[in-house]
Amino acid sequence: MPDTGTITSGGIGDAVQRKEDFRFLTGRGTYTDDINRMGQTYAVFVRSPHAHAKIRSVDTSAASQASGVVSILTGADMVADEVGSLICGWNVVDRHGEGHKAPPHPPLAHDTVKHVGDQVAVVIAETLSEAQAAAELVEVDYEVLAANVDTGSALSGPEIHPEAPSNLCYDWILGEEADVDKALANSAHVTELDIINNRLVPNPMEPRAAIGEYDMATGEYTCFSTSQNPHVLRLILCAFVLGIPETKLKVIAPDVGGGFGSKIFCYAEETTCVWASKKIGRPVKWTSTRSEAFLTDAHGRDHVSHVKLGLDANGKFTALKVETIANMGAYLSTFASSVPTYLYATLLAGQYTTPVIFCNTKAVFTNTVAVDAYRGAGRPEATFVVERIVETAARELGVDPAELRRKNFIQPDQFPYDTPVALTYDTGNYEASLDKAMGMIDYAGFPARRAKSEANGKKRGLGISAYIEACGIAPSAVVGSLGAGVGLWESAQVRFNATGSVSVFTGSHSHGQGHETAFAQLAATKLGIPFENVEVVHGDTSKVPMGMGTYGSRSLAVGGSAIDRACDKIIEKGKKVAAHLLEAAVEDIEFADGNFTVAGTDKSKAMEEIVFAAYVPHDYPEGVEPGMDETAFYDPGNFTYPAGTHIAEVEIDEATGVTEIVDWVAVDDFGNVINPMIVEGQVHGGIAQGVGQALLEGTVYDKDSGQLVTGSYMDYCMPRADDLPSFRVDMTTTACTHNPLGVKGCGEAGAIAAPAALINAITDATGAVTVEMPATPERVWRALQENN
Amino acid sequence: MKLEGTYIINASKEEVWKAMNDPAILQQAIPGCESLEKISDTQFTAVIKAKIGPVKASFTGEVNLENLNPPHSYTLTGEGKGGLAGFATGSADVSLNEHNDGTELIYLVDAQVGGKIAQIGSRLVGGAAKKLSDKFFSRFAAVINGEEENPE
Amino acid sequence: MPSISLTLNGRSVSGEVETKTLLVDYIRENQKLTGTHVGCDTSQCGSCVVHVDGKSVKSCTMLAVQVDGSEVTTIEGLATGEELHPMQEAFRQNHGLQCGFCTPGMVMSAVDLVAGNPDISETEIREGLEGNICRCTGYHNIVKSVQAGAKAMGG
Ligand code: FES
Ligand code: FES
Repeated sequence: MPDTGTITSGGIGDAVQRKEDFRFLTGRGTYTDDINRMGQTYAVFVRSPHAHAKIRSVDTSAASQASGVVSILTGADMVADEVGSLICGWNVVDRHGEGHKAPPHPPLAHDTVKHVGDQVAVVIAETLSEAQAAAELVEVDYEVLAANVDTGSALSGPEIHPEAPSNLCYDWILGEEADVDKALANSAHVTELDIINNRLVPNPMEPRAAIGEYDMATGEYTCFSTSQNPHVLRLILCAFVLGIPETKLKVIAPDVGGGFGSKIFCYAEETTCVWASKKIGRPVKWTSTRSEAFLTDAHGRDHVSHVKLGLDANGKFTALKVETIANMGAYLSTFASSVPTYLYATLLAGQYTTPVIFCNTKAVFTNTVAVDAYRGAGRPEATFVVERIVETAARELGVDPAELRRKNFIQPDQFPYDTPVALTYDTGNYEASLDKAMGMIDYAGFPARRAKSEANGKKRGLGISAYIEACGIAPSAVVGSLGAGVGLWESAQVRFNATGSVSVFTGSHSHGQGHETAFAQLAATKLGIPFENVEVVHGDTSKVPMGMGTYGSRSLAVGGSAIDRACDKIIEKGKKVAAHLLEAAVEDIEFADGNFTVAGTDKSKAMEEIVFAAYVPHDYPEGVEPGMDETAFYDPGNFTYPAGTHIAEVEIDEATGVTEIVDWVAVDDFGNVINPMIVEGQVHGGIAQGVGQALLEGTVYDKDSGQLVTGSYMDYCMPRADDLPSFRVDMTTTACTHNPLGVKGCGEAGAIAAPAALINAITDATGAVTVEMPATPERVWRALQENN
Repeated sequence: MKLEGTYIINASKEEVWKAMNDPAILQQAIPGCESLEKISDTQFTAVIKAKIGPVKASFTGEVNLENLNPPHSYTLTGEGKGGLAGFATGSADVSLNEHNDGTELIYLVDAQVGGKIAQIGSRLVGGAAKKLSDKFFSRFAAVINGEEENPE
Repeated sequence: MPSISLTLNGRSVSGEVETKTLLVDYIRENQKLTGTHVGCDTSQCGSCVVHVDGKSVKSCTMLAVQVDGSEVTTIEGLATGEELHPMQEAFRQNHGLQCGFCTPGMVMSAVDLVAGNPDISETEIREGLEGNICRCTGYHNIVKSVQAGAKAMGG
């Protein structure tokens, strides 16, 4: 914990109300679609209705005559302008030492379309309804090709890219297969399971939107966008797609209505708006409809796995073997390749001491929209594999699943712990969270509760999920050696204004996480100034020095640590100024609670006085620069490893198969906590998305036609208020050992833990080995029929 | 999506066959058919308005008659484009058998939809298609039988 | 084009509007009140909820011409100056919002839902908000907020 801490309101650890709430609650937030620019035009994309087809011709003649049409642009126009392909920023090297296959991904397709919704042309008009009407008139002649949408059989399906024979993007391994096979052969018991991790549509409530604008006078572009990481978007657009210097593109991500991963990526639409704005000399605005969002936002998960867990006669895990096919969709999205590899296989040790682990991931192309990071990204898939197979093993062996876990936990005195899958866990106490969760749910009382449910004609089940995640992906040197195309540090600038207020500029974007509050708490505590005096600025590349954005629960651990470092620099400089003013040696100046004091005396100066002196340096130390404005870049030494135990208890109606969640306890270890209110909110939201995956949300592409048949809220079942219970959330704490704040990250935990807890509970209740997600009433009812 | 059904039409096989090849009668029978033009003996172009769930669209497309085996059976194939609403393709095997009350008509439809209709309406497509087929064949029978039909 | 006049957040407004214009577009585009959001195109999400004559309505399911002569309140019209409506205040106190996108619709729905029912139960709230999707909060704190808001409104 930082060394200051007497501030009782707005300091670290306080559940202070959020600064951003007033504007959101009064309808004064500014989301991208709320912005309108002078002379703005409206873009509507013409999209493929086919999953896979050759484009024979695009006839825009009738459309261009339609009322209000300003311009119609096609893939051919992009080719003529040498607009680049959308890129994947992480090159995964396969088991033979070859890089992954990253076929071209043109923002506007020009010879083939590869998924339903692939964009073929853009119609730009004076009004939205004119653009929509004209888009109807664009005639595209397609030669329909056979579609390939099924993950499990994609390798043998129709070929999608000539660059990727058999639709294989990469065949990647981690670990020694021979060692694992040998350990399995020598095991007293081997549990095997087929595991499907269902495909999900992220569905932030704010659909994506973009405005591209070009200023002829300065040669400067502006892109307003619903982005989780404006600097990365700028980097990709400039360096790879549009070929413009970073000084000539400003990316502004204003208020963003949720992201969950899907707004990390660089998409065709913002690219097109920026490019077209120069071509037509006017701002171009596009706002996604929900229907378009279903077709074009990158989806999540979509793994098919076969898993083997070996155990010795004492129930200790001997080996884990995981073979996974991961769907990449039609094109390789911005970070897609890293998700089922480095963010997945590296987490397969879970909380356990399994000595040898092997993972093989085959990434495949299909005629579906791209799959990329979605809340948890790889780690929910890993936890689902581990916690399902552990639970299944316990049932096969007839031992208490909690005890089997306990027996295999990494013990507190084993940290730092090197897993066989390349990570070093710095700290943790897994038994503490398990015990607390079991206490909260009254584990011992479950048989009695089950008997009571049975008496009422209901099946009751309990499911444990002891998850781990790795957050704040880093350090840059390591991720670079694994194929990442970027560094994964974060920047912060802390600027005192002359009158004592502070602006904190962070490269970490906020779209619901409450950075404006938590980061202000952090800076206020550290600098010993009132919380109200701190303003957090984010989301504008022209204001914030540089940033890598918000994903992987990295904001606090990485972005927060950068702020901490910048504050340190401020304090260091302040000490020099104070030493001068107090006529003491710099070494004798101590800083606490916003005051610089000469050690052992009552001679002291407040932060405000020092700042004022720095800006009005009439009496000032020689050789010290005026001003109080410091920037720091923080590159973490390791991931952080939040972990914990969630336990779900369900009751199933035997007649209907409807599952009711009757209790949910979550005990998480996020290290130190800045704002417990925000942290709990993140846990609730994460669990809800995990419950959604396990019970409700299923993404279905029709196998023959390749059509997305769950493309609206009528067919894709989002969790609603009456689908969920209230959650009981608590914490245990082991502070992260390698960042200055001791924090770990909390944004994804719920989504990672929840699916396994729920499916373990449902299989416990039904007696089935497996119930596929989403465990709809029909599937649960069938499981009941087959097992009773 | 596959659909099948059987109808008894109170007319001779030859009469039914003739009607099955008569654009005027087909147009009257096809729900929402705004025009049906004969290009050749086995080729028609059609404009059909349909509403599936929340999606309303006007489809323009071609209808072809294949596997002609007069007066016993044919296959009707069609492809319609509905602009942003998407597209529909399908085929119907229609066969006629003698029956005590006239002629028994058996149809087997295999249809596919794409684009917005599939995305938003797919849950409803099966039901809607069944309803449209039923409507078509009942109207068709009514027209042949010279009954009053009440177009919508 | 027909012309309509209505009371919008206590102010009378009138003007011409195309017959096909949805109420939500009228509010956002014609009246430039962007607090009312659009989260879907199938009337499922509730981001667009406003009050028409005191009743909560999904403004994407209504035409602007239908509110001719009505009183329409949007989220912008709920607070009195800088003083939040008790329901807004309850959302702030209970962390009932994260990204804020669903929030205007959620608050407007909640105000109507609890009217006259200060002791509304958790189940009633969950069922009553079934038409409003929130992807961020898991509803836990929304339920708490609405319960607190109901108490504060005093029915
Ligand atoms: S915008 Fe979704 S219900 Fe109105
Ligand atoms: S707060 Fe983000 S959708 Fe509800």
